[in-house]
Amino acid sequence: MTVKDGKQLGKLSRWALKKSPWVFHLNAGSCNNCDIEVLDALTPKYDLERFGVTLVGSPRHADILLVTGVVTMQTLPRVLHVYEQVARPCLVVAIGACANSCGIFDGSYHVVGPLDKVIPVDVYIPGCPPKPEAIIDGVVKGLSKL
Amino acid sequence: MIDPVKTLQAKFPDDTGTVEQPSVRRAYVDITAARVKDIALFVFENLGARLVTMTAVETTRGMELLYHFSFDLAGIIVTLRAIATMPEPRIDSISCIIDGAEYIEREIADLFGVEFVGHPNAVRFLLADDWPQGVYPYRKEYRGKYPYRTEEELDEVREEMRRRWAK
Amino acid sequence: MFLSEVLMYIGLVVVFPGFLFTAAIGLAAVWVDRKVSARIQWRVGPPWYQPIADIVKLLSKETVVGQNSARFTFLSAPFIGLAAVVVLATILWMASICPATGFVGDIVVLLYLLYVPSLAIIIGGSASGNPFGALGASREMKLLLAYEASFLVAVFTLVLKSGGILSLGGLVEYQQSYGPMIAQGPSAIIAFIVTLVYLPAKLGVGAFDIPEAECELIAGPYTEYSGAPLAAFKLIRAMLMAVLPVFIITLFAGSAWNPWAILWFVLILVALIVFKNTNPRLRIDQALRFFWGPLLVLSLVGIALAAVGL
Repeated sequence: MTVKDGKQLGKLSRWALKKSPWVFHLNAGSCNNCDIEVLDALTPKYDLERFGVTLVGSPRHADILLVTGVVTMQTLPRVLHVYEQVARPCLVVAIGACANSCGIFDGSYHVVGPLDKVIPVDVYIPGCPPKPEAIIDGVVKGLSKL
Repeated sequence: MIDPVKTLQAKFPDDTGTVEQPSVRRAYVDITAARVKDIALFVFENLGARLVTMTAVETTRGMELLYHFSFDLAGIIVTLRAIATMPEPRIDSISCIIDGAEYIEREIADLFGVEFVGHPNAVRFLLADDWPQGVYPYRKEYRGKYPYRTEEELDEVREEMRRRWAK
Repeated sequence: MFLSEVLMYIGLVVVFPGFLFTAAIGLAAVWVDRKVSARIQWRVGPPWYQPIADIVKLLSKETVVGQNSARFTFLSAPFIGLAAVVVLATILWMASICPATGFVGDIVVLLYLLYVPSLAIIIGGSASGNPFGALGASREMKLLLAYEASFLVAVFTLVLKSGGILSLGGLVEYQQSYGPMIAQGPSAIIAFIVTLVYLPAKLGVGAFDIPEAECELIAGPYTEYSGAPLAAFKLIRAMLMAVLPVFIITLFAGSAWNPWAILWFVLILVALIVFKNTNPRLRIDQALRFFWGPLLVLSLVGIALAAVGL
């Protein structure tokens, strides 16, 4: 969600959030292909640091939550817990076919549902797995929504 | 270079059944389920093989448990096929011989419902804590989808989570 | 009279040469570090306003305090560290700009003030109520015990060499008459080497990135921080990146308020960046063994040479 304390952000805060988005990667039950593509996007070849993107280790430092994978019964409480810990304002990005709709795991045992059944999602990036270019495009579109 | 299949058949003549060898590097040997520990000990220690993984398949003959051993020097992977009778399949656990089999056996127990006798830590592994007991997803009798969670169930999970993680 | 003096002191501490001036230099140094590291890795690197955007963004995020944290200590630790660094920067710059304002013993005050940011990290990490925070805090404690000893011996080598001058302003004046400290003999060169090894350890970069070991300890002592306290921690880091090279320049090359100091600053920064990009992280016991072994012996040799007169 892109509001803090229920208020809209000012112009300076919006500029700073666009120029320095810190990314946290969360695997909610993915087969790991989307995680590999997220990792690829963070390598020097795509050089996301020139946009100010850094991978942070703690959800509290994050501005963008990159979630991959369909939400399973095992990861459901953990995804909710991490989402509650992220400091607002924060953008939630659902990466891959499994996070958007259940992908090929639709109707499988242990599946709770796609990500937007559990937490509010701002950006959907389709693909199985989406290329790093697609991930970057999606994140940029999400930032321009701010 | 020893031939692992022939050595195994020589050592356990009563307990090894049919041998299928579809190619030079791959062999399937049927064994009796009661002697799986002795055979695994022999293959692991005396023949020096490496357990690659264990798999399970439910067939018309019963619950087949496949132990895949790799003989790296001889260049062959030998699969030992043991049948555990349905409806309640049970077999000896080999995790006292091979430590790495502990997690694999827990996984098979969760998904197929095979009881491994003598397993040191047979608790639920992959499936969630609130998955119902006695429902094994990989069995043929498990049909249909697990329904999506409704909003009320999701709210219940949120409440439970808040209660559990709050002080 | 009294009011105008108070206003002047406030201006010194907050604007120049205290908080705003050192923060500007510090953020520029952080940017140079990131840009040069990027170029070394054949990347492009962030634009010049990146560190400023980071700090402004952190200030506009909400501050989340966990239920397990000790609230007051948790929130105040970074600001205490920031206050100490601001006072440290002011005293340090005043010793270079106007050496007569120093007082006897202000080197000792500066050394004490240099402890406070590390203490802020330790206290903040422990107050988080998070196991990663506690682990990071304990590692920072161990590292602090390791590197401070050799640095103290090196600084007192210089005090001995200059004939017992315990004030930084006095040391600057001494160097104005006798030439830079580093040219005074082998004991000063040994002290310089020890101080150069102390620099990355204090900043927590390169081989000594042990308390905030990313990927190993999540975020170490900073795990539970968000919003304005995290911005304060990042500012402490940036300002230390400005203050420590200036401290080294003042100790070894004379006043830092002249054009040659810029060259020294750039050289020290280059050495730091090259070290950061080429060395993998040490384990905490390896770092302890290094600091209490070879480096302490080297600094003791230095102070022995200074006592003899070399």
